[in-house]
Amino acid sequence: MDNESPAKAILVVTVTALLCSILVSSAAVFLQPLQKAYADIERIRYLVQLSGLVDSDADLSEFAIVSAYQDVTPRLIDLETGSFDQNLDPQSFEDPDTADELQQLVSIPAELDSARLELRPRWISVYQVETDSALPRLIFPIYGQGMWSTIYGYLALEGDLNTIADVVFYEHEETAGIGDQIQRPAWLVGWRGKKLYDEQGQLQFDIGSIDVDSPEYDYRVDGIAGATVTVDGVADLVRYWFGPHGYAPFISRFDAGQER
Amino acid sequence: MKTRLRRALVTPLVDENPVTLHILGICSAVAITNSLYSALVMSAALTAVLCFSSVVISVIRRHLPHSVRIIVQVTVIASAVIVVDEMLQAFAPTTSQILSVFVGLIITNCIVLGRAEAFAAHNPPGVSLLDALGNGLGFSLILCTVATIRELFGSGGLLGREIFTSAAAGGWFEPVGLFLLPPSAFFIIGGIVWLIRSYKPQQREQAEFEIIATDSVRNR
Ligand SMILES: Cc1cc2nc3c(=O)[nH]c(=O)nc-3n(C[C@H](O)[C@H](O)[C@H](O)COP(=O)(O)O)c2cc1C
Repeated sequence: MDNESPAKAILVVTVTALLCSILVSSAAVFLQPLQKAYADIERIRYLVQLSGLVDSDADLSEFAIVSAYQDVTPRLIDLETGSFDQNLDPQSFEDPDTADELQQLVSIPAELDSARLELRPRWISVYQVETDSALPRLIFPIYGQGMWSTIYGYLALEGDLNTIADVVFYEHEETAGIGDQIQRPAWLVGWRGKKLYDEQGQLQFDIGSIDVDSPEYDYRVDGIAGATVTVDGVADLVRYWFGPHGYAPFISRFDAGQER
Repeated sequence: MKTRLRRALVTPLVDENPVTLHILGICSAVAITNSLYSALVMSAALTAVLCFSSVVISVIRRHLPHSVRIIVQVTVIASAVIVVDEMLQAFAPTTSQILSVFVGLIITNCIVLGRAEAFAAHNPPGVSLLDALGNGLGFSLILCTVATIRELFGSGGLLGREIFTSAAAGGWFEPVGLFLLPPSAFFIIGGIVWLIRSYKPQQREQAEFEIIATDSVRNR
């Protein structure tokens, strides 16, 4: 075949594209279990850092992570009733095979869907930190849309279930150098000690700079200049998860003095 | 024949170094040379991609229609880069996080497409492999030199191990923060280019334009 004929060009391009896509997809498929296993360790590392059981800035060995994780217990919340579900085993929701059968997806009313998720699971695992304290920290999973991608994170609340103890975002596809600043430790430190709800139990949390003297200061985290779209997404997803369709019913039960 | 093979491997190290002679691959050389470890991983990644793509393109060179050759070359290079990126994410996840987008950006590293287009597309696979290896090593040599200087003076250590005890820890060494910032890589690469060209004047470029003093300047 003539090398410069259109037919040859199409043939060469098609064959190259086919072979390359086989190469790329088999690499992705074969390496995925390893990547997933690593992602699980990372997730546990973040949970341990949020637990307050270890110095959150320390560079922990795998052993230190696993041993600290022994004191972090997953507990299942039924978001429909807003209480711990004592009958189901949290472990069965971690395993994808059984989770598919057990889990129910609930559609989110459009006016409440600030995290732009459309669906959320009915049961969700939160992580309780076992300490001597009567009111242990609780770590809540949070996720929602940023600018380009779904952002996944954990937010740890102090025992009063109002004060933010710590926060991380462990997975996202925001632009490196812009949106990924939501992972900068210096920014995340600014969340510590901020509150979600005011005295009346209204959700006041928001992101964006505000005057120190303002009454809203206690509920405000600084924004990140140049990454406002991503950060607005983060504020919206926090407001969704701690709003009426998320954890708020669960949290308000404890204000009423309920046993954990 | 033997000398030709040796030439393909050795000349890109200094005499025709892709970074210092052709000034290619500067983006990653500036971005990830603040520690020797990331420079080593980056060097290995680029060399692997370069060798793979050069061999593949050389094998199919007689069947590459002129009109679509760049598309095919970029497809091969991009696939190799994605595979390397996936491997890093699976086997060296922490490193992969440090290098972040710069592994993906190997696709746009001019050294890779440059060698494919200038060498592999016209030469048999064996010598193309050596040429790719030589250029990969030439790039690595500069990258690691720059990274050694930056990490040593910027943080007083190498590969995370302390070499100079810092003043904060009771020693004498005051870390020079500038070395950790990207601009320092520019100065260091510039310095290396200058050193090489003083030693090998044949590498100096001819001025493209002559600067002619105009009347207005002359009359001033
Ligand atoms: C290629 C590209 C990628 C961007 N990625 C992000 C991003 O990941 N997150 C983000 O918040 N803004 C990103 N931006 C910037 C947004 O478009 C927008 O300008 C910015 O969020 C506004 O923030 P500011 O009001 O603080 O300047 C990106 C812009 C460009 C051109």
